[in-house]
Amino acid sequence: MLLYEIKKVILKPATKIVLALLAALLLVVCCLAVSCVYYVDDEGNITKGIKAVRTLRDKKMEWAGELTEDVLKEALRQNALVNSSEEYLSQNVQENNKAYAKKQGFSDIRKLISCSFCDFREYDYYRADSIREEEIGQFYENRTLHLAKWLYSGEAEHLYSEAEKQFLIGRYDSLKKPLYYEYTDGWAALLEYAPSLIMFLVLLTGFLVSGIFPNEFQWRSDAVFFSSKYGRDKAAASKVLAGFCIVTAIYLISMSLYSVAVLGILGTDGASCPIQVSLGGWKSFYHITFWEDYLLTVLGGYIGNLFILALSMLVSAKTRSPVLPAAIPFLVVFLPVLTSNLPVLSKVMGLFPDQLLQICTALRYFNLYQLGGEVIGAIPILLVSYTLLSLLLPPVLYQVYRKTEIT
Amino acid sequence: MELILDNLTKSFGSFTAVDHISLTMSKGVYGLLGVNGAGKTTLMRMLCTLLKPTGGSISCNGKDIFQMDGEYRNLLGYLPQDFGFYPEFSVKDYLLYIAAIKGLRPAIARKRTKDLIAKVGLTRAENKKMKQLSGGMKRRAGIAQAMLNDPKILILDEPTAGLDPNERIRFRNLVSSLSEERLVLLSTHIVSDIEYIANEIWMMKDGRIVTRGSLEEIIAAMPEKVWLCHVPQREVSLLQKRYRVANIKSLQQVAELRAISAGKPCEDAILTAPTLEDVFLYYFGEMGGDENAAI
Repeated sequence: MLLYEIKKVILKPATKIVLALLAALLLVVCCLAVSCVYYVDDEGNITKGIKAVRTLRDKKMEWAGELTEDVLKEALRQNALVNSSEEYLSQNVQENNKAYAKKQGFSDIRKLISCSFCDFREYDYYRADSIREEEIGQFYENRTLHLAKWLYSGEAEHLYSEAEKQFLIGRYDSLKKPLYYEYTDGWAALLEYAPSLIMFLVLLTGFLVSGIFPNEFQWRSDAVFFSSKYGRDKAAASKVLAGFCIVTAIYLISMSLYSVAVLGILGTDGASCPIQVSLGGWKSFYHITFWEDYLLTVLGGYIGNLFILALSMLVSAKTRSPVLPAAIPFLVVFLPVLTSNLPVLSKVMGLFPDQLLQICTALRYFNLYQLGGEVIGAIPILLVSYTLLSLLLPPVLYQVYRKTEIT
Repeated sequence: MELILDNLTKSFGSFTAVDHISLTMSKGVYGLLGVNGAGKTTLMRMLCTLLKPTGGSISCNGKDIFQMDGEYRNLLGYLPQDFGFYPEFSVKDYLLYIAAIKGLRPAIARKRTKDLIAKVGLTRAENKKMKQLSGGMKRRAGIAQAMLNDPKILILDEPTAGLDPNERIRFRNLVSSLSEERLVLLSTHIVSDIEYIANEIWMMKDGRIVTRGSLEEIIAAMPEKVWLCHVPQREVSLLQKRYRVANIKSLQQVAELRAISAGKPCEDAILTAPTLEDVFLYYFGEMGGDENAAI
């Protein structure tokens, strides 16, 4: 029964179009992710591709290890050395590129130094150039100091309760120091484009699963279906199961292909590095590694896909039409963009299901909630609550569909 | 096997589609005759548990069919009026899928599917997609799906609608061959569909059964008589206004009319044996002559 239900979806001409589109999008996203990592050779030429990635990786891995004061000082020294070179001071872009080529190995560390010494809401790329070696001891302290300064500034004072402020400061303080650094460009690129792919997946899979239930009515096969022995139990359940199998298969296959392609080319090094060693993760209060970030992103995306598409299927079973249900993923993904300026929704928007589709981005947000006096980040709430809702929807969907009357 | 309809009623808002029907069915072919909108499909859908009645009950061997749930549907084979299918499935796949949702084990389903495909004459088309079949072939696939579980109750709603005369005869013979040892309820507005094969005929109008019985009983019970009259062509329209006219045959100067009337419609009218068509016309009048009523 289940296989026939899946076959009903797969054999539809529209499915072939959707799958072709999905394959094309997967290819585009893979290309974008891979091409965002480049290497500048000694002649100042920008190169891309596997060889360029390998060279860049080797350069960065020379700096692998704990980011102690000595390492940071060495990075400052090397930076100053390049800054005083003729290439760096030249007005010629190609010459500047040659100078940059010498900084590539420690460019990530240099960016972290800039980030640490800028105010919380600022980032000045050149800030590292003006840091003296004796100041570098402030590298880790600055992170917490700038956060605290911002939290009690006019800009953020009313955004968080005192408990939330203390929670954030406490989280920042508890970061394990010194940070361990490695080449992480593969994971960074993978995570940068993962939300786009996950959103495409939910939008396109929506077209496939939104027809599972209403197609019986459109094809007028409903009367035979519901008058069959298992039409109101096992056959209805197999429809629910088919929906979840399709969502799961498309998600897992697409994410696996994407991950293998991107990490295969850009490398898997840095999986155990904390996300704080990247510019995007420096301010996150979630102390996790790139590998954990990846797992959370994939898991969150899956739960998000399941929830949104189960909701879509529920509406399709109720309305007996695939039109509105196919639009639900679009609403879930794009509605927050339209409502983001509404202050009344700012707090709850952190718990919208679209956040699950972009966990690696949500990890950088300070979305906090108080539950029973405990301050908690949005990510655990999102994962737990939407997992429960995703588990709750299939039985509801089954009950709604099995009670269908054919008028 | 006994199916009892007790005061069965189905209303949609203020409209009553099936109005307090009480009937008992056992083995044999039952023909449900009525014009479009008489409530036949609603009645059949309730019998197939697709619709719940707003009043009354349907019981099978003493048990409520809605409480029997899958147990009742296991006894049921249904060919709906607007028989739909999965367009991209082959005939064989379609039947195997329906066999699965009817609870047949795979090995039995394969055998049964093969047998039925042969029985309905679709062997050469078994790998064709359902959407590629002709109207008649689709109907035959429809009857095959209804027969997959060897149902004790076979419900066929307007099974010959849209078929050409050859296909209709073929279909009628097929139904007749399938009717042994089971209860067959055949709904139609085409008199000839049931005239020869139904053991009992019910005529349904405005949600009610207006008359019922065997072909002979129904004909005998018709309150008016059937006359053959030969009248000048100019008088035809006048007679048509006064009487129910089942047939007009133009001869050279005159027309031969088949009129239904309690008394003689004209001087030289000859009493003739009524048919089921005459009874149909008597009960359904002009409605029986609408475009769907291919008497």
